[in-house]
Amino acid sequence: MTATLLPAAADPVGASEPSPRPRRRSGRDLTLVVMVTVVALILAVIVGLPLVRILTVAFSAEGWDIVSSMLSNPVNRRILWNTIQLGVIVSLLGTAVGFVMAYAQVRLGFRGKKMLHLVSLMPIVSPPFAVATAAITLFGRNGMISNGVFGLDVNIYGLKGLVFVLTLSFFPVAYMNLKGMLESLDPSLDEAAANLGANKLKIFTSVTLPMLIPGIAGSVLLLFVESIADLANPLVLGGDYTVLASRAYLAVVGEYNVAGGAAYSLVLLLPALSVFLVQRYWVNRKNVVSVTGKPAGSPELITAPVLRIPILTVAVAVAGLVILMYGTVVFGGFVKIFGVNNEFTLDHYRFVLAGIGSDAMFTTTILALIATPIAGLLGMVIAWLVVRKLKRTSGLMDFVGMLGLSVPGTVIGIGYAIAFNTPTILGGRQWFPAVAGGSAAFGGAMAIVMVFVARSLPTGQRAGISALQQINPAIDEAATSLGASSLTTFRTVTLPLIRPALLAGLTYAFARSMTTLSPIVFITTPQTKIMTSQILSEVDSGRFGNAFAYCAILIVIVLSFIGLLNLAMLHPSIRGIQRR
Amino acid sequence: MTATSESAMTTQSDTSTHLAAGNIATATPGRVTLRSLRKVYGDDKSASPAVKDVDLDIEPGEFITLLGPSGCGKTTTLRMIAGFETPTEGEIRLDDDLINKVAPNKRPMAMVFQSYALFPHLSVFNNVAYGLKLRKLPSARVTEEVETALTSMNLGPYRDRAPHQMSGGQQQRVALARALVMRPKVLLFDEPLSNLDAKLRVQMRGEIRRLQRRLGITTIFVTHDQDEAMTMSDRIVVMNVGVIEQVDTPEEIYRHPASVFVADFIGRANFLDVDVHDVTATGADVSVLGQRWTVPRHAAVDARSSVTLMVRPESVRLTPTRGRAVGGAVGRVLSSMFYGQSIEYDIETEAGNLVVSVADPHAHETFSPGDFLDVGFEAGRAWLMPVEGDQP
Repeated sequence: MTATLLPAAADPVGASEPSPRPRRRSGRDLTLVVMVTVVALILAVIVGLPLVRILTVAFSAEGWDIVSSMLSNPVNRRILWNTIQLGVIVSLLGTAVGFVMAYAQVRLGFRGKKMLHLVSLMPIVSPPFAVATAAITLFGRNGMISNGVFGLDVNIYGLKGLVFVLTLSFFPVAYMNLKGMLESLDPSLDEAAANLGANKLKIFTSVTLPMLIPGIAGSVLLLFVESIADLANPLVLGGDYTVLASRAYLAVVGEYNVAGGAAYSLVLLLPALSVFLVQRYWVNRKNVVSVTGKPAGSPELITAPVLRIPILTVAVAVAGLVILMYGTVVFGGFVKIFGVNNEFTLDHYRFVLAGIGSDAMFTTTILALIATPIAGLLGMVIAWLVVRKLKRTSGLMDFVGMLGLSVPGTVIGIGYAIAFNTPTILGGRQWFPAVAGGSAAFGGAMAIVMVFVARSLPTGQRAGISALQQINPAIDEAATSLGASSLTTFRTVTLPLIRPALLAGLTYAFARSMTTLSPIVFITTPQTKIMTSQILSEVDSGRFGNAFAYCAILIVIVLSFIGLLNLAMLHPSIRGIQRR
Repeated sequence: MTATSESAMTTQSDTSTHLAAGNIATATPGRVTLRSLRKVYGDDKSASPAVKDVDLDIEPGEFITLLGPSGCGKTTTLRMIAGFETPTEGEIRLDDDLINKVAPNKRPMAMVFQSYALFPHLSVFNNVAYGLKLRKLPSARVTEEVETALTSMNLGPYRDRAPHQMSGGQQQRVALARALVMRPKVLLFDEPLSNLDAKLRVQMRGEIRRLQRRLGITTIFVTHDQDEAMTMSDRIVVMNVGVIEQVDTPEEIYRHPASVFVADFIGRANFLDVDVHDVTATGADVSVLGQRWTVPRHAAVDARSSVTLMVRPESVRLTPTRGRAVGGAVGRVLSSMFYGQSIEYDIETEAGNLVVSVADPHAHETFSPGDFLDVGFEAGRAWLMPVEGDQP
């Protein structure tokens, strides 16, 4: 298993070498061969090896027992069912919310549009617990609103709470997807349909909707994967509603049962990967909305009150909830115990900024700052290789690069724990020492940077690929024809042209590194504290104030980074036409 | 903006090309030799090749055009010469050196792309300087050479512009300057004029040709536009489904096409079924349209081969007749189209329908649909040629 899987996933160059075709361009371009090899090796280490190791353990006798009892054992069956149930509900609800927000944004005219857009994006830059913790404080058993205002005893733990929190956390993904799609719908198609005699309703059902179906399906699938892979919220809010991710976590962290963790991971991996594959190779192929990059003209704004009023009501309600949640996060950090003892205090912030909690803040920020440029640049290089340079191996490299995101974080984390807690030995030789776990080199920091890179690389890669596909390949060839090698072409032509994609890649890389939890909890060490896992332990111990302060600081760090990055990119030396 | 700058350019065009004369120096023009060149895409060696057994000798300083319909292999051939595609089989030589394996960035050639492929993030100056900077020339030298090139292409005032701030014609000149400043041994053009509007295209044709003559640079030009090929080339290579159909001067190709495909693709042609009575050393006696004619012939025509007589629309002669039925020399006008500089008739005859073009229509009597006419042609300009297999 290992022997057959690893080289294929690891080494696209090797994979294509057996073909004796003389037409491989790379054969003559040494820099390209070196680049492909280096990228392939990095991918093999940060994604390939942990996955291969977790699969080996899952297929070991001990692991396979659990995998095969998935349907026969009623407890496991329940967990599997819970996971799927949660995934289905959240993906449908989240897509619906995302659609309403996107539709309001693109097709309705109202004041505060920009504000609504920012609010819709808020959950993306926030750590996974912010919403969950705020939800418990507001709507939980002793919630300020549920109990304080309405006098209800609501049990927020379990499916209801998870659906509520996950929908609020993940709808932005659907929102971004569908907003882009709604914007790129060519209004002349509507006009053509109207010209042929269709009324508004007919236009919507016969033209608009069919063109949006791939986007809606894509969002549902994406949200499904995100919600079944989520670990943070089930840990905080699940109660006795156990899902695969939290079960795997319990196995590894609570029962020291690595084989069990690997087994649950495998079961989690299957639906996640198949949905990812369906999303990529089926939905994308069905996509008929042509994204040309050119503005397709502005669509006619909907003025009919029948549509306007309900859509705006929902949009405002959702935005209100998001604001309420983040308001709670900010305020919650400044009071003793929010809702119980509302006395002003700076203790929580002092703990995070100057106390023992500041350790995690600095470490996380520094590691994220190390990982961000690596992930951003690696994403661009992979995009460039995939779109321009590789031929038959391009699909493979693209796929492996995307694995860091499409594989649930829990699975990656357990894979890292298995693969890197001990020195990596291949062919009787130690390649590098243990990089994760207590006795690891650099106190485990290296594994964390590797996870950050693996998790945040795919977004940049996607952005880079779509940016490159818009650029005429003749521009690369022109550089080549003027004497530039592959590396020079990439540095002097490609990279400047896909700068916006690089910016997006860097932004996401930092945000994702700062906010990721699921893979991190498996590999943090006492020497290397990471904010998200610190938040988890604060929440676990009921110190919500500290958790709120952490979340708020984390959001501030992410937003400042994004702000600074955008400022830097505005600088004339980086931006715009290079004259003389 | 486009309108004004292009009209400004029209007035400048002549001076610009005169300037171009001495200022841009060139390397010695290269000789390009293609031997049994073959290109199969994909892994299946038995798949039909994009380019098949192409042999071609391009002389130093020659302007040669690869002409053919889309999918004929002309662009693939050019890209193999440039190094962007690797031949499946065969040899590419530059001045006797085999260059099949030389990377495209190491070949002393420069290419002008259909889309111009200007670097959108670089100014005009930096676009032209790009290749020189890669050669690590001292920056004073780079500036000097780029300035010379820009001035000679009349681009001086635009040096700090971004490519998207310029008209199509100006972008075309930048692309040309960027290629020429490299002093390539061979200059390659991939349908460079197809994105320009009709008037500018005609003007650029002349400019490129004059520039090439003055610099004496070996030039390989790919196009599907026969007018471009005819007006610019020393020799034309007509390609079809991956093979070379004919290599010859524009005039020879027009007057004495090697195949029905060439005759049909270059200009327009009528093909008449004829009875061959006698084949002589240089021509043949044939009868068609009720008369006997002595016409020149293709070398491959012999008494047994299946032949057709090519008659260009402009060599058909029409005269009024008293005949009232189609047959023998008598034909009938089916339709007429007025083009301004010429008028075109569709004539029904016993040998099939003929397209006839009469230049300067108002100097002649014009005919209407339904008119009966005597149909003849200039026998010396007809061409008796063999018919291969499935072709018309």
